[in-house]
Amino acid sequence: MVYTRKDVSTLTRAERRRFVGALLELKRSGEYDDYVRMHIEYYTPDGESGLRAAHMAPSFLPWHRKFLLDFERALRRVDASVTVPYWDWTRNRTRTAVPWTEDLLGGDGRRSDRQVTSGPFAFRNGRWTITAGVTDTEYLMRDLGRSHDPLTLPTSRDVESAVADPLYDTAPWNSTSPRGFRNKLEGWGPGHPPASWRNHNRVHRWVGGHMVSGASVNDPVFWLHHAFVDLQWSRWRRRHPHARYLPAEPPAPGDAQHGRIVARREKLPPWDVTPQQMEDHGAIYRYA
Amino acid sequence: MTVPVNSASKPTRRRRVLWGLLATGTMATMAPAPPSPGRSAPKEARFAETYRGRRITGASHGAGPSGDPCRAMWHVTVDGHPLPLMRRADGSWMTMVDHYQSYPTPLLAARAAVDELGPTARPAAPDGNDGRMVHGGGRSERSRTPKDHVHGVHA
Ligand SMILES: [Cu+2]
Ligand SMILES: [Cu+2]
Repeated sequence: MVYTRKDVSTLTRAERRRFVGALLELKRSGEYDDYVRMHIEYYTPDGESGLRAAHMAPSFLPWHRKFLLDFERALRRVDASVTVPYWDWTRNRTRTAVPWTEDLLGGDGRRSDRQVTSGPFAFRNGRWTITAGVTDTEYLMRDLGRSHDPLTLPTSRDVESAVADPLYDTAPWNSTSPRGFRNKLEGWGPGHPPASWRNHNRVHRWVGGHMVSGASVNDPVFWLHHAFVDLQWSRWRRRHPHARYLPAEPPAPGDAQHGRIVARREKLPPWDVTPQQMEDHGAIYRYA
Repeated sequence: MTVPVNSASKPTRRRRVLWGLLATGTMATMAPAPPSPGRSAPKEARFAETYRGRRITGASHGAGPSGDPCRAMWHVTVDGHPLPLMRRADGSWMTMVDHYQSYPTPLLAARAAVDELGPTARPAAPDGNDGRMVHGGGRSERSRTPKDHVHGVHA
């Protein structure tokens, strides 16, 4: 049965409660933190050696699609009615809009230490202690909108500039790729911050706290953000029906990216799937 | 989409590779390489400063293990705790603490990490035994079995 991922702003009170409940249960069982660790482990920047599957690479989109699917399956084992909602940050743009409400993800971090003190993920509730981090901080942190130097969320025009590009990705297939939908959406722009922070990356910065670290999965907004990023890939495919994931073939020996990226029909680690197999999700889920 | 039944459905159960991955990339935990006679002397650089109340130090040694002089090894610490650096393709630097942005120099990356760490947080550090990442007293350590490790990439 194909299930539906909804705009988080449309969830009923019961749907919110069940989504939060499933998150807390995965955290309690320890499974949640395995996802945090996996994301840390796979965040290899493109100046390092070896294969990079998750970021600064063409497979940024299929890697996160599969990552979300696995996590969503875990949520649905807890509660079969739950799916990962998406946060449309082009519409819900303020620090008090959804998903930053008491019954969803809770609000901003406090000024003194960025600690999230409201909602289900507040440290004092005892159900959301950070254990898989890149620092020793035990509480979830946010700094919505970057209070000391305010930043705005990407706009629908920013997203459109990515979705409009009919080229999926292009050499050198990394964070310096000057064109292509993938890097425009992932958001490693040229120039200096904050102008260089585009779409996906910019949202990580806007949320702040844990979301700017390699341990960004510790903030459950990670899933809502990446569901919206994933939705853009679906929109891009509808917009450009003949465009495909690139590269189709692995870079040749001697190419600087040889062995560093995942081509269309190559295995996407750590899974047994290829980017090609991840292009169409219509048999598993749809977006409302 | 086709998702094979036997595809790895769970993230890695072991973190042993994690710190190894960082260290391999950054050489941050390696001892300084002795200058090799007969080759051009490695360019050394270091910095030490107090930034927002935190002590930052960094030292580089001109060549990486591959002998590539462009890939300088940096050992950076914050209040004595190692802060692994990673590189971007454009030559800039980033840390795990501030991971959606990179900086032109190791010092700027270290300062940006301090901005994120605040006055007291420590970067997580390798535990010195098998390289596993620990923090907060290793509270999160749980027993893992090797078969849980599903990766073929970094292992
Ligand atoms: Cu990611
Ligand atoms: Cu992300």
